[in-house]
Amino acid sequence: MVNHFQHSGTVRVRIAALFCVAALVFAACGGSASTTAPAASETASEAASQAASPVASPVASAAPTDATFTYASHTQVVTDLDPATSYSNEVIAMHDVYESLTRYDAVTKKLMPALATSWTSSPDGKTWTFTLQSGVTFHTGRVMDAAAVKAAIERTKTLNQGAGYIWGAVHSIVAKDPQTLVFTLDYAAPLDLIASANYAAYIYDTQAAGAAATGAGASDAALVAWFKTGKDAGTGPYQIASWKAGDEFELTLNKYDGYWGGWQGAHYAKVVYRVVPEVTTAAQLVQSGDVSYVDRLTPQLTASLKSNPALQVVDTPSFQNLVALLNTASGPLKDPNVRKAVAKAFDFNGIVSALGGSVVPAKGVIPQGLIGYSDSLTGTGLDLAGAASLLAASGYGPNGKPLTITATIVSGDTDLQLVTTSLKSNLAKLNITLDVQAVQWQAQWDKAKSSDVAKRQDVFLMYWWPDYADPFSWFISLFHSETTPNFNLAYYSSKTLDAEIDGIQALTATNRDQAAAEYVTMQQQLIDNAVVVVPYVQNYQRVLQASVGGFVDNPAYAQVVFAYDLTPGP
Amino acid sequence: MRRILIRRGLQSLLVALGVGLLAFVITRLLPGDAAATWAGPRATADQLARVRGQLGLDRPLPEQAFRYIADLVTGNWGTSIHTRQPVLTDVSGRFMTSLELVSIALLIAALIGIPMGVLAASWRGRPPDWIAGIASSLLASVPVFWLGLLLQLLIATQLHWLPVAGRWDRTLNDVAVAATRTHMVLVDAVLAGNGTLFVSGLSHLLMPAIVIAAYPIGLFARLTRAGLLETLGEEHVRMARATGYTERTIIWRFALRPSMGPVLSALALVFGFALGNTFLVENLFNFQGLGSYAVDSIAALDAPAIAGTTILVALAYLAANLVVDLVRPVMDPRLREAGR
Amino acid sequence: MSGSGDAVDRAGGRGSSSTAPGGLGASGPGSALGRFIGYVVRRPGLAFGLAIVIVLAVGAVLAPVLAPFPGDAGNDTNLLAALQPPGGLHPLGTDLAGRDIWSRVLFGVRISVGVSVVVIVASLFVGVPVGLFAGAVGGKLDDLLMRIVDIFLAFPSLLLALAIAATLGPSMEHAAIAIVVSWWPWYARLMRGEAAAIRGRAYVEAALLLGIPRWRVALRHILPNAIGPIIVQASLDLGGVILTFAALSFLGLGAQDPTPEWGLMVEQGRTLTSTQPWVALYPGAAIMIAALAFTLLGEGLRERLDPKGLARP
Repeated sequence: MVNHFQHSGTVRVRIAALFCVAALVFAACGGSASTTAPAASETASEAASQAASPVASPVASAAPTDATFTYASHTQVVTDLDPATSYSNEVIAMHDVYESLTRYDAVTKKLMPALATSWTSSPDGKTWTFTLQSGVTFHTGRVMDAAAVKAAIERTKTLNQGAGYIWGAVHSIVAKDPQTLVFTLDYAAPLDLIASANYAAYIYDTQAAGAAATGAGASDAALVAWFKTGKDAGTGPYQIASWKAGDEFELTLNKYDGYWGGWQGAHYAKVVYRVVPEVTTAAQLVQSGDVSYVDRLTPQLTASLKSNPALQVVDTPSFQNLVALLNTASGPLKDPNVRKAVAKAFDFNGIVSALGGSVVPAKGVIPQGLIGYSDSLTGTGLDLAGAASLLAASGYGPNGKPLTITATIVSGDTDLQLVTTSLKSNLAKLNITLDVQAVQWQAQWDKAKSSDVAKRQDVFLMYWWPDYADPFSWFISLFHSETTPNFNLAYYSSKTLDAEIDGIQALTATNRDQAAAEYVTMQQQLIDNAVVVVPYVQNYQRVLQASVGGFVDNPAYAQVVFAYDLTPGP
Repeated sequence: MRRILIRRGLQSLLVALGVGLLAFVITRLLPGDAAATWAGPRATADQLARVRGQLGLDRPLPEQAFRYIADLVTGNWGTSIHTRQPVLTDVSGRFMTSLELVSIALLIAALIGIPMGVLAASWRGRPPDWIAGIASSLLASVPVFWLGLLLQLLIATQLHWLPVAGRWDRTLNDVAVAATRTHMVLVDAVLAGNGTLFVSGLSHLLMPAIVIAAYPIGLFARLTRAGLLETLGEEHVRMARATGYTERTIIWRFALRPSMGPVLSALALVFGFALGNTFLVENLFNFQGLGSYAVDSIAALDAPAIAGTTILVALAYLAANLVVDLVRPVMDPRLREAGR
Repeated sequence: MSGSGDAVDRAGGRGSSSTAPGGLGASGPGSALGRFIGYVVRRPGLAFGLAIVIVLAVGAVLAPVLAPFPGDAGNDTNLLAALQPPGGLHPLGTDLAGRDIWSRVLFGVRISVGVSVVVIVASLFVGVPVGLFAGAVGGKLDDLLMRIVDIFLAFPSLLLALAIAATLGPSMEHAAIAIVVSWWPWYARLMRGEAAAIRGRAYVEAALLLGIPRWRVALRHILPNAIGPIIVQASLDLGGVILTFAALSFLGLGAQDPTPEWGLMVEQGRTLTSTQPWVALYPGAAIMIAALAFTLLGEGLRERLDPKGLARP
């Protein structure tokens, strides 16, 4: 028998050697991490000290009035901090750090002054004059004047990324005097509304990185790089104190003492953005008081928290709806009978009932609160008998030939799964097999844009919401004819509609009532031709600590919390 | 021994690079436009085209692959499309976080699973064996997020024994961030000499580690039991029994170590797997680990990020397997003469 | 008292211990079925597992008859009855689309258990021979094979599943292929480790010295002794495979709604776990029960296959 103990000496040496190897491996890993980590934290602390110079250090000196608002975000917060090109989730923080000329108030449906105190337009809607707020300073220290505003908007327009297209109508900007800005447009457009957009309308200091950045060249590269380090050049009530990409507490904002609006009364001094991917975790965190605000839980979770006295649930209809685009150009749905039959297979009532309080029934294509909304646009609703007779006219239906059609949705969304499951179930009764493909967004979009027409889907479902509080977005993006498909994934082409769309912005700027009527006509055309079906409009259900006072949800700024407007409670 | 190490080390490096390249190429071949992630879901065709050029997505695939390898060799792991940060920064930080979590989880799994297996083997055929058997099976097949959520609801929200989520207490956030060196909170706390941070970090690690440990506990228990039963039938054990050692000594001193072979192999496999596949647990407990990064990268068709993650996880797998292959002869002397 | 029974018994060398009344080869009065039942009855764990497997099989076959709402496992929905708690018409409650969970769980046996067993068997078929060969042969071939295994191990399975789903279209069958491709290396690695360990044992050397061809040695001496850990892992894997399907389904890569695949049902109930727990609870329990049954079955199988198995008190 082998005596284990004879070899013990060698054994011990070998074990020691192995541990040394392991330690070296770990040290190497740790070493490589540490060479990168300090670099990141250095720039972050640099940013903190630069941005926070007039303010006390970000480490809470715990004054009793140092109230912190914690926003629970379900995805990474920051993708792009450059206000000209930012088009992603960071919008939830950008509106606390940056401001625009105007802000849309969804309750009064009016534009409120922000960095502009008043504005006028010429009768033809092509010349707009804005009077700017005085006493506004950028976080970089510079004073905001008309020249600075002009520079910012011009840079955004030149870069033309993200939502930069909104400035497309602008021909030239003139700074008549330090408080007055005159815009001359190529065609009439509601510039005051455009200036209140959710993206690409921020006013920022183009000289933040030194030389004036214009959207091109080396000076612009410097500014782009400057923003990448986590700094901000805004005028808003808060400024970026620290940004740690990939961390749980990703972004922290501290109050900007020099804010032109002043700090009278009770305000939050600090805003923290915490990444919480899982709704069940977010629900627990808001119950334990660890976060102040959750933008969305499931309707079931929200319902269960409504009775909790420490929390408040705020319901607000949004400008975001679900659009089902039916393929008008190829495939079985090219036949209007079949298309209209499919439109009649959507069970609006059932879907809205199953999704609880998170959705409201849709009327037409434009959500309530925007110009052109009309509750007379009810569509047909679930009508299987009518669908069957329409199908029979084309030889399909329960007594006719079987049919298979494809629908695509983005994967991971239980609401969309429910909608397609319900549709599939109803279509099965009509002898139509619905093949549902739940794929990644890129793949879904790619498939819809493919040049091989046979590869395209028959029904394309996605959410849509506008960049500023105007229904133009739906029409120009989804229903205007396109030579190569981009978002018009019903592949609809109608000369009448195109003409109406091309003129509607000018009409909105000059004659709102007529514009509203025109929008209703356009929606009616889309519904009559079964180009699109809109099952519901999202209902925002925000869950907050009861101690947060003054929260009003603004659907024009989706998921944005204007922390300055809140009142921290006891 | 050294030759083996060097040879295996080089092989592992090549395998890791190969797999990374393969992952890169496959991601680029998948349908879908990675430029859409960068430019945003509402980008115009022009914007997309511009971004595609910027990111080098319009170059032919062999050129992209070659560029990638060339950059890799010089230490440039590329820029992640969905985070816009350098891939190396992203991946190394997340890797260390996952490493810490998985290591604690496997430690727990070994400390519970192996004794459970020993118990089952010693009491073979009797109630403790059945109970251990049922427990192993249930632990190995319980839906992970269930277990996690149940633990969260019970232990955190109801009993307040452990925190709900996160890696450290939110009041310690500034301290923790300042102390970050290795992205492993326990190590950083020790390096910074901060006891509060250490305790906070540990308490936040416990629940996710337990959830990750569930499957390995079951696996280790059953492998230990099986291996032990086999070893107990062997000659050296019969000799020990004849010499008069107690059954207890026989199990723990003579039989356990040689039976550990399969457990070690499984440990290496689970280690590598858990590093990249625990995104559900990471999401549930707000851990910024490699698993959730991998899933986000795949959803975004982020080829450099996927390749970077794959390479790192592959290296970890291979290192773990190498260690196991070297340790097995140490544990089981019968393997030494055979030369492997 | 058949002659062949005796011969097997003596050759196997284990028939006559008093603590172990003998394997299936034992001679004695009664039919083969009677001996089988006797074998099973003496092992409560195996009996329990077998009982559950039989119940599952019955459920799979008779699902259309036993289910109160068989259409709910297909295209039927009942949105106005969404998320009903267990009781009354719906013994296990309804899901988000108003479908009866009990019916869907029943139909899910065929799908979840069926496909998962196929996946495991396929993985074994690929992994075990590769690992056995590598471990038995050793040397450079072993190295090469293991590096290939490592490549498969290191490749992110999610990406593979996505690639397959993208090329062939997302479905459960394609997800199964992706899982087999990611799963077999585990068995290969485990098998190779065991085979390499056993290769050095005295009796293997002896057999080789006696001139028995390598392949015979591998199959008759190495394989039976090395297979233990594989059986353990494989038997525990049923639950794991079903849950892997779940993860893939959630990302749109596997079974699509309305397929009543247990893993998919668990994923659909994920955010509802704290408010309407039954949606994820019952499919999850089904997974665990099926996994338990197969583990116990696998344990019984391992005893039979392991020459040293019985007889240790």
